[in-house]
Amino acid sequence: MSAVIEITGLRKTFRTLRRGSRVAVDGFDMVVEAGQVHGFLGPNGSGKTTTLRALLGLVNADAGELRVLGASAPEQLGRVAGRVGAIVESPQFFGNFTGHRTLRLLAVAGGVPTSRVDEVLDQVGLRDRSEDRVKGYSLGMKQRLAVASALLKNPELLILDEPANGLDPAGIREMRDLMRTLAESGVTVLVSSHLLAEIQLICDHVTIIARGRRVAAGRVDDVLAGHDPHEWRVRVAEPERGAELLRAAGLTVTGHLDDVLMVGGVPESELISSTLGGQGLWVRELTPIRPDLESVFLELTAGAAPPRQPDGTTPDDAISDETGSAAEPLIELDRTDGRRVDA
Amino acid sequence: MNLVRAELERLTARRFVQLMVLLLAVAFAVTTATTLLGSHRPTTSEMSAAQTQAARAVAAMEAEHTRCLQIKAGEIPIIKDGEYVPADCAELDPARMAQLPLATDYLSSVFVFSHEARGLLYFLIAFLVLFAFLVGASYIGADLNSGGVVNLLLWRPGRLTVLGTKLGTLVGVVAALSVLSSALYLGTFWTIGQTAGLPGPLDGEFWGQLGAIYGRGLVLVLLAAVLGFGIATLGRHTSAALGAVAAYAVVWEVGCRLVLQIIDVARPDQLMLSTYLGAWLSGKVELWDGNGCPPGGGVCDGGLYTITWAPALLVLLALTGAVAGAAFAAFRRRDLL
Repeated sequence: MSAVIEITGLRKTFRTLRRGSRVAVDGFDMVVEAGQVHGFLGPNGSGKTTTLRALLGLVNADAGELRVLGASAPEQLGRVAGRVGAIVESPQFFGNFTGHRTLRLLAVAGGVPTSRVDEVLDQVGLRDRSEDRVKGYSLGMKQRLAVASALLKNPELLILDEPANGLDPAGIREMRDLMRTLAESGVTVLVSSHLLAEIQLICDHVTIIARGRRVAAGRVDDVLAGHDPHEWRVRVAEPERGAELLRAAGLTVTGHLDDVLMVGGVPESELISSTLGGQGLWVRELTPIRPDLESVFLELTAGAAPPRQPDGTTPDDAISDETGSAAEPLIELDRTDGRRVDA
Repeated sequence: MNLVRAELERLTARRFVQLMVLLLAVAFAVTTATTLLGSHRPTTSEMSAAQTQAARAVAAMEAEHTRCLQIKAGEIPIIKDGEYVPADCAELDPARMAQLPLATDYLSSVFVFSHEARGLLYFLIAFLVLFAFLVGASYIGADLNSGGVVNLLLWRPGRLTVLGTKLGTLVGVVAALSVLSSALYLGTFWTIGQTAGLPGPLDGEFWGQLGAIYGRGLVLVLLAAVLGFGIATLGRHTSAALGAVAAYAVVWEVGCRLVLQIIDVARPDQLMLSTYLGAWLSGKVELWDGNGCPPGGGVCDGGLYTITWAPALLVLLALTGAVAGAAFAAFRRRDLL
């Protein structure tokens, strides 16, 4: 597969008179292959939107190389703009225009047939309200309008920054279905979101950014597998004795509640059942504890080092002196198979 | 071309633009209605009386000129104390006057187009300058503020192309509206002059002067549009343009003018933009500065100086060019957040 988005060593520092300099993205890398539904995750202020804006030519990068559909950004973006649909961070529209007029003006400016307007309004479920002024739209409706504007071009690549913002549960489900349909039709989708469960449901690949740096990237399954604690939930009739037997066999019992034991560091379940069964203690339940994207995300983003600031310090230097958290090594997963590697 | 079409539609669909056009139409309608109500076609007797008054006025001027010549020749003495007798009686020569009294000067409640056209045109230019500045500022200011520019850049990533198209569309629309409204405006009052008043003397000189005012006014309107657009782009908001103008007027034109006068700076008017505005619009302004005169008072012509339209245009073009250039340079490199 060919890469439709390639970001290498992206660095961006914002400078303001009042607040001085702030490094937003620090040596960030990302690759999105054609046909992927790629989740882009990160806590607030981690650099997601800055990255997407740099990719779309809205923010000037200080360093790094960005390519979209093979075109260098921002210099050659004009060459591929007609093939890229994008929304960035709750886009605003001119309130006095109707939804239909807003889209029609964009279609005219972009040389897209205006017949596409009704099609995309149907696609996002806004047809009935298309003649209302945008200022009367709810946040969710504005979000749908934004997605509609991104779809107008029939894009090969769709970049969506928080597309579920303001949507109700039904709207989120519709958005999920829409993205699936688009992905099935061959559109590459890069989607950033805080809704980790949604990302896990929709995306096949993921990149996680924290404090301006990539902390994980790869297939969603591989990223999750890379963080599998190999922990099992074990239910036995005599939990105290069971715990002793497991410890004696060199296993780690991490928790104990009623007749349930939590046993960690076990690559294969047979080790538990044979250890307990061999001593006449029958296992009533043996369930693997699988990590979800949320727990992996929280683990990765909590341990990420902040970007270097222009003066050479990190914002959390003072905190790390007390907690030691910032001094922990950065964990990174290989992009292709999700294995842990030292960063 | 597509972008121009879209921007043209975006600009003309803006409520503020529509409101300003409506205001122009209302002002136009009110002026037309009051002019029509306050004017009538003069009767033969009114015309005859006015002609008599005009002839008397010309005769009085001729008599004064003759009397001046007689005093200079020593044929008659000065009778009245303090009577003004110019050094050169040519000053009083009616033949050298730019305009002799006409019958139309003595008609009351009669709209005379040739008398009123300049004032009406200045009023229209003032309105159009305000219109152009506000529309220019709000057009880009609202787009920057609402995220419309960002949306557009996602479609057309060329920043300078997008901003340039917006400015070009604005200038085109303002120019077209100015030309159309001026033609309609002057045409209506010319018709009133023909039907419910008097046209007055409409010779080549009149049309030439009116055309010059119109041309200079049109340039000023376009410069105002570019200036409003440029300041709002730099400040990322419509209010930046309004604030900049208000701040300039209060701080520099009023405050600094007072300070400069107090500390006796030579020719402070030369440092004021309003001077160049006036010079450009009227062709020239004559100013007087006491610093050029010897102390002790008395008559002094040395303090007089003139600013003509040429340096005025240069100043206005330099200012507008600098603001527009800075706006494009800032927009080219600016992070759009």
